[in-house]
Amino acid sequence: MAVEYNCILIRFGEIFLKGDNRKYFESLLIKNINTALKGIKYTFVRSQGRYYIENYAPEDKDEIVSRLTKVFGIHSISPTVKVSTDIEEIGRVAAEIAPKSGKFRVTVKRADKRLGMTSTEFAAAIGGKLLKASGGKLKVDLFEYDFELFVDIRENGYSYLFYDKIMGAQGLPTGCSGNGMLLLSGGIDSPVAGYVMAKRGIRLYAIHFHSFPYTSELALQKVKDLAEKLTAYCGEIKLFVVPFTEIQYAIHNKCPEEFMITIMRRFMMRIAERIAVANNCGAIITGESLGQVASQTMQSIIVTNSVVKLPVYRPLIGADKYEIIDIANKIDTFDISIRPYEDCCTVFLPKNPVIKPKLADAVEYESRLDIEGLIDQAIEGTEEITIG
Amino acid sequence: MIYFDNAATTRATDTTVKIVSEYLSEKFYNPSSLYHEGLEAKRDLDRARAAILGKLRGEGKVVFTGGGTESDNLALFGVKKHKNGRIIIGGAEHAAIYASAMELRQRGYDVVIAPVNGDGSVNEDGFRELLTENTTLVSIMHVNNETGAVNDIGKFASEVKFVAPNAVFHSDGVQAFGKMRLNLRSVPVDLYSMSAHKLGAPKGLGALYIRNKVSVSPIVFGGGQEGGLRSSTENTAAIAAFGAASEERYACLDETNASVGAVRAFILRSVSEISEIKVISPENGSPYILTFASSKVRGEVMQHALEREGILIGTGSACSSNKASGRIAEALGLKGKYRDGIVRLSFFKDNTADEAREFTEKFFKVYKELSVYGS
Repeated sequence: MAVEYNCILIRFGEIFLKGDNRKYFESLLIKNINTALKGIKYTFVRSQGRYYIENYAPEDKDEIVSRLTKVFGIHSISPTVKVSTDIEEIGRVAAEIAPKSGKFRVTVKRADKRLGMTSTEFAAAIGGKLLKASGGKLKVDLFEYDFELFVDIRENGYSYLFYDKIMGAQGLPTGCSGNGMLLLSGGIDSPVAGYVMAKRGIRLYAIHFHSFPYTSELALQKVKDLAEKLTAYCGEIKLFVVPFTEIQYAIHNKCPEEFMITIMRRFMMRIAERIAVANNCGAIITGESLGQVASQTMQSIIVTNSVVKLPVYRPLIGADKYEIIDIANKIDTFDISIRPYEDCCTVFLPKNPVIKPKLADAVEYESRLDIEGLIDQAIEGTEEITIG
Repeated sequence: MIYFDNAATTRATDTTVKIVSEYLSEKFYNPSSLYHEGLEAKRDLDRARAAILGKLRGEGKVVFTGGGTESDNLALFGVKKHKNGRIIIGGAEHAAIYASAMELRQRGYDVVIAPVNGDGSVNEDGFRELLTENTTLVSIMHVNNETGAVNDIGKFASEVKFVAPNAVFHSDGVQAFGKMRLNLRSVPVDLYSMSAHKLGAPKGLGALYIRNKVSVSPIVFGGGQEGGLRSSTENTAAIAAFGAASEERYACLDETNASVGAVRAFILRSVSEISEIKVISPENGSPYILTFASSKVRGEVMQHALEREGILIGTGSACSSNKASGRIAEALGLKGKYRDGIVRLSFFKDNTADEAREFTEKFFKVYKELSVYGS
């Protein structure tokens, strides 16, 4: 009978370092793992600083591995073959899953000290069986090997055999750092910013400003699809869709054209903060990258940042576009972000946006508007959508 | 809700819904099966085929396909062409023709595009200049799907046959079939594409008329259905519905065209009052399509704003996302902001004068609001 990889070993990373908080981090990580594996039948086993996923249908293995690689807080994953700790059985399975030729080594980790053999002796015995089974095609080389067979002998009477170590998403379990409100535009940068902060344990909330009829339902769908991609990493996301057209009309009617974007962004920040606070978010997250566009110059950021008290996390502030695109490709948001729907709101884009706005100017122009009234109206019309 | 986007697709009629349901649950048998039920299904299929051929007044056969696009593909790729021959297509053809022609160009054919007039009809003089005796295939649509302009395909086909007797003449009749009288027997049109869902029958079904003695090779291979020209188990439910829809459309064609034409005429008169609106559809175009462009309000913005008022319309422009409409706007010679301002209204049998009035009222209201902000 062919040997099945019947157990998936999960190692967790940084949460080791967190001393007293470990219990809290672990409970979050376990919850997130279970959420990620929703819809699949399996058993979760916790044992001696590691987790094991067992009793799943063989055809679900790759899906489980794929989902686990997106859970923050996991350091690495290995599909393993779980067998009774019996040297003959281990040797038989090892020979079956080993490549048929090349140089190898066996590394044994022995938690069970009652077995009367040291790790090295175990390794030598298993290596011997592998050599014999290969009919001379395999060679042992402890230093320059083509593959390494790991045998993890645990105290529960079972051993776990594996070759692969698949890197996990690293980071901290989602939720352990609190909540953050992500400004999600539909472009390339904002989902990446969300991903980067989620990796540091932030539970994401997202806010999108919609300019119907100037932007279409497709543009909104694009934002929902982006949020959906992020949920693979950070679980459910609450998306707030704010109607923004009236605010754009008001700015367009009463403020100089070149300040359109600056003042629009000040409104966005204010609204984001209001909804963030109402949802216990400790930060606003944006995808701004210094100097990328007129609204992301140092002076522009001073002017847009000055309307809020919450900290604003800008994880991409020092990133180049290609670095951002690399991550966007990795998290599979790039192809969604480049769908060409957002340019429909160009009707409000000034020909020459101000690059170095002065705070005093922005404040003076804005004083022509009923800021609070407009914000109240926008928040009242806000739609809340749960993604994931 | 007012639905004025019937050139995109139509609502199924009571008849077609009933037929589809009947064929899915009771007469679901495979027409290739040799038992009685299968033979009955085959007979129904051929009855629908005959009905459609009858409405075309054609001399040849009708082959069912997976849609208008597939019919166009079968025509362009399946017909025998001279490797060194010229292929001419109209300048405002549907993407199914345009993209197929571009693929043929990639494969080494001399593909040329005939210029169109501002209303989307093919320019006759421009076409004549491109027509050479080594022309092997011509494709000119019957009714332009963007503007409703009607090409005199009989005249074009005759000219083609005069200059290049061996050339094959194809016409995309997707917006014409069921909406105008046809008499393909009297003109040298070799191939004619149709689509079921523009007539209240289901999506996923098209047909290609092939005139006698015109040789077409399959582009889909398999079990040899449709005389080997389109393998795949026949979509009997949709085919039966298509046959019935064709019968229905032609049974009351004059009445429908008159009522739809009145809707179109009313709206045309109203929107013509706005000075920055340019009507693109020709006066004598299909009564089912009315297209105009504004230099102040983008088509897509208008579409979304009307959507909020419960009116669904089509647009020639979805900003840069709609490559097809960019190509068409260019072909029509639209300048500047008009290119993004295209709006297409398309009607079907159930549209009423009341809807036309309500549309006009709401259109004016919305247009007034939006044009303040320009585009």
